[in-house]
Amino acid sequence: MEKHSGNDRLWSFSESVVFTALLIVFGFGIELLTGASGLEIPSWPLNAVVLALGCAVIIPAGIFLRNNCYIAWLGGIPLGLCLIFGLAFLSFFGGILPQEPAVGSWWVRHLRLNQVFSSWPFALTVLFFLVNLGLSLVWKTVPFRSSNLQFILFHAGFWIALACGLLGASDLQRVIIPLYEGQETSRGYNSREKTMVDLPFSLYLDDFEMQEYAPQLALYDPATEQLVPDESNAVLQASEGLEMSWPGLTVRVLDYLPHGRPGSDGVPVASAPEDGVAYVSVEGTVDGERFSGWLGTGGPHVEPAFIAVGTRVLVLIPGSASSYRSEVSIRGRDAGTVDTVLEVNRPVSVNGWKLYQMGYDEQAGRWSRLSLVEGVRDPWLPAVYTGFFMILAGNVLFFWKGMKKSRVL
Amino acid sequence: MTWEEFPFAAYSSMAFWALGSLVSLAALKKDSLAMPGRVLMMTGSVIMMVFLVLFWAALDRPPLRTLGETRLWYAVLIPMVGFLVEFRWKIGWLKYYCMALAALFLGINLMAPDVYDKSLMPALQSVWFVPHVVVYLVGYVLLAASSAAAWHLLFRARGGRGLPEGGERVSHYLALLGFVFLSFGLVFGALWAKEAWGHYWTWDPKETWALIAWLAYLGYLHANAMNMSSRTLQWYLGLAFLVLLVSWFGVNYLPSAQNSVHSYQTG
Repeated sequence: MEKHSGNDRLWSFSESVVFTALLIVFGFGIELLTGASGLEIPSWPLNAVVLALGCAVIIPAGIFLRNNCYIAWLGGIPLGLCLIFGLAFLSFFGGILPQEPAVGSWWVRHLRLNQVFSSWPFALTVLFFLVNLGLSLVWKTVPFRSSNLQFILFHAGFWIALACGLLGASDLQRVIIPLYEGQETSRGYNSREKTMVDLPFSLYLDDFEMQEYAPQLALYDPATEQLVPDESNAVLQASEGLEMSWPGLTVRVLDYLPHGRPGSDGVPVASAPEDGVAYVSVEGTVDGERFSGWLGTGGPHVEPAFIAVGTRVLVLIPGSASSYRSEVSIRGRDAGTVDTVLEVNRPVSVNGWKLYQMGYDEQAGRWSRLSLVEGVRDPWLPAVYTGFFMILAGNVLFFWKGMKKSRVL
Repeated sequence: MTWEEFPFAAYSSMAFWALGSLVSLAALKKDSLAMPGRVLMMTGSVIMMVFLVLFWAALDRPPLRTLGETRLWYAVLIPMVGFLVEFRWKIGWLKYYCMALAALFLGINLMAPDVYDKSLMPALQSVWFVPHVVVYLVGYVLLAASSAAAWHLLFRARGGRGLPEGGERVSHYLALLGFVFLSFGLVFGALWAKEAWGHYWTWDPKETWALIAWLAYLGYLHANAMNMSSRTLQWYLGLAFLVLLVSWFGVNYLPSAQNSVHSYQTG
């Protein structure tokens, strides 16, 4: 960070504090007077026009009115610092209070503190922050000096990411696409606008597949309606030979069937994964008395199996999902059909949309025939990512300079 | 290695750090004790490092999911910052604060034992998992050390005495380096969120607090550029770390966190 000079004198700090405080109070005033309606960001192409106008004002003002004391103050560090505090102050409400419509006390709702990031005080603070950042950027860029590269990359990256991220938010489309095995759909549900959206492609779900971690052996106490942690305080996955103990109770797993079903004599037998549920055969002692039997997780068509031990119950809890994926055929408007797999953390792009494996029917678990896919379209993403990478590049230079300056390197 | 063996490793590390600190303090009067002191302190850290590696191997996933697991990393990394500062800048006092902080976080793990759980939800199974969390932890460690250095200076300057000449450089450079790591952690998190949840920024409470912490240190860099007094800046750095602690631990206890995507605790 370079020391400032010239017009950015410390005396302008108090004016900056007052200005930022008034800006926020003014923003809250608008919310109170308008019934906390917030600020609607215009969508394409109006948001691009606003962005272009902003640049058209900031760049010439920075270049030609550089010596004007008001412009110098508007782009100076004291105001920048106060606006950073202003943003942190408003974000503080967003970090403390649940950000949901119609939630919170009268004041919270009428000042829009429950949706603070789309409120007037936040918008005004961001607006002046962008002006401040933009002006300082112009001054460091014109005339260009390579020694300012770190400043330019970091500040321009932040400006681009912030401006494009916030202005582009209105063009962001997120839809949920429910897919059933063996069925095709080309429509998604926009939960924000509560409307159905026609998509420029269709999806056919060939198969939904889910893997689970091994089930967990646990002790349930009906009196407290809670699971009792074992002496090792561990969530242990069932396996042959697993031993667990609680005060007065020991259990050992003799046999583990990942997929089984009750046989004719009631004893579980191995079965195909599609119609089987997990079973373990256990033996142990409770208060010195021996016991043995089968525990089963149960499933859509099979009752769970458990063993009562004194006043408590040994149960087998289904393992949590370790991975789930949808095998889909995507038919684009122009292109042919593409067979692909959607998985968490592995989205697929099609016709300007990105498709994400989002969820499934949690009641049915691994027997789910429903896969929830999310479709996201964000035309401003390349601009925001450009900003992100510029921030990172600026930070690399900052780090390098800092290491040199501090004689670490 | 699991949490069952953790108390042995933690108490051993703390004992070596304490013993090493005593020997190092004695070395101020007798030079020949400097090396044994260093070896003892390093041994404390090596024990924790070995435990972390074996814990990782036993867990079959990076031990970065729960707060208890991140505290282990912290206990490994923060003494290293103290040792590096002494090695590079010949400033010896910071390492004692760093070891005390490491012992504090091990103490929290001893008092509130974590649940040993090998499962890892699909959203966390990503190439971004390790870089995102480790970069953040390095940032937290540097900024904790920066805060400790600031408090040390303020303590020495109490009662109207001036700050030691040039002493603020330690807290400043540590804050500067810490800020770089915070920035990387924030952007890595955004890039990962896009791949996992479809959007890079959703104002999730953890994201919001990460932004507040980042803004706090961005504010410091600008306050520093504005030539604020050294004393004010040291107070700033001393207190800014509290914001970081909210971002790391505190968020889970806030009303806003009920629907956070960053709730990975099982215990």
